Amino acid sequence: MATTGDVESDKSESKDTTDSPQAGKIDILLKATGDAPILKKRKWLVEGEKDIGFILNFVKHSLKMERNECLFIYINQAFAPAPDQKIKNLYSCFGSDGKLILHYSKTPAWG
Amino acid sequence: MTEDKELLREIWFAKIPVCFHLASEEIVNFQKPDPYYLMCPRITYFPLVLDKVVKYFSRFVDSSKQQGIDIWIEYEGNPVKWHYPIGLSWDLICDEASLPWNLIIHFDNFPDDELVRCNSRALVQSMFMSTIKEADALKHRSQIISAMQKKEHNQLWHGLQEEKFEQFWAVNVKLMEHTNNEPFRCIPFRFYQLNQPYIQRLFKPLSENGTPNTLGDLVRQVFPSSIEDDNEKLTVLTHGIQPPFETPIHWMSEHLSYPDNFLHLCVFPRKSCSGTNQKSS
Repeated sequence: MATTGDVESDKSESKDTTDSPQAGKIDILLKATGDAPILKKRKWLVEGEKDIGFILNFVKHSLKMERNECLFIYINQAFAPAPDQKIKNLYSCFGSDGKLILHYSKTPAWG
Repeated sequence: MTEDKELLREIWFAKIPVCFHLASEEIVNFQKPDPYYLMCPRITYFPLVLDKVVKYFSRFVDSSKQQGIDIWIEYEGNPVKWHYPIGLSWDLICDEASLPWNLIIHFDNFPDDELVRCNSRALVQSMFMSTIKEADALKHRSQIISAMQKKEHNQLWHGLQEEKFEQFWAVNVKLMEHTNNEPFRCIPFRFYQLNQPYIQRLFKPLSENGTPNTLGDLVRQVFPSSIEDDNEKLTVLTHGIQPPFETPIHWMSEHLSYPDNFLHLCVFPRKSCSGTNQKSS
């Protein structure tokens, strides 16, 4: 079960994210799309070794969703990465401006 | 690409002989079933070829599990990932000496902590199409796949599902074309090593001075410590073959990608570092 203890809230929400990123951790920005509720905190520092399945559980936990409820995560508003895809891989291929933007939705949004 | 069509066919129609056994602890009949033999296409996924196998074994298991919603496959104590192409799993975890591939099929005790659930073809379809979209995001900034009609997306999926080469490639050729003679922006690839998560990075098909990048260039970028005294310490396996390191990576992407448009490359330590290139000779 994902707990908030595994993810660090990025306190520098309004600051430039490029300064001093923690070793092995990646800035992710979680954006709601469709009818999904907005997270209070959208920017988080996540270990690159975590995978999309972990993020799915983390968002579900944060939104107080049941584990078996549907949630979809998209990159580039174009495709849904596999649950075992590592954040590190996605960041190195699709990250920009020092962060990885992930859209989440409760219904299929982009294919 | 047309001159290499024969190669695309060879890749498409390659099969692996598999011998399925039912997990002995799940047999409720007095009679033990014979194993089930099947030639499995390398390029497809286990959930797309298992219907007959599931039907055959289902009468030997508990009636509540007969529908096969908790199906999973085991090889030597480990679950086999259903969302990897069959050929990739074989290349990664087996060696040629062990044919046919002996796999154990389970109807129960799904390993939720190790494996993503797959209880419908629709799930395989969405995973497959998403991977194609990811590949096109790398190759063409998603321009080709998003300009396609739904009908063409379906043709890719049905081509794979029904193992129809012509049907699949009639659409896939668009994803493999160079737009305005431009090479792919980046090469969709994943490197796999035993018991480790796969590695995916950005890699351009041309070097800074415009020369074609090779498989060797890619290996050296992702595994910088793989060269010592000019000896490559790694070997790469895909579709059961070891492409020479001097193969241009763009050519590999066009011809040796799986139907999901990714190069799935297994990496192993070269058995001998004595300077002789024994494995690819």
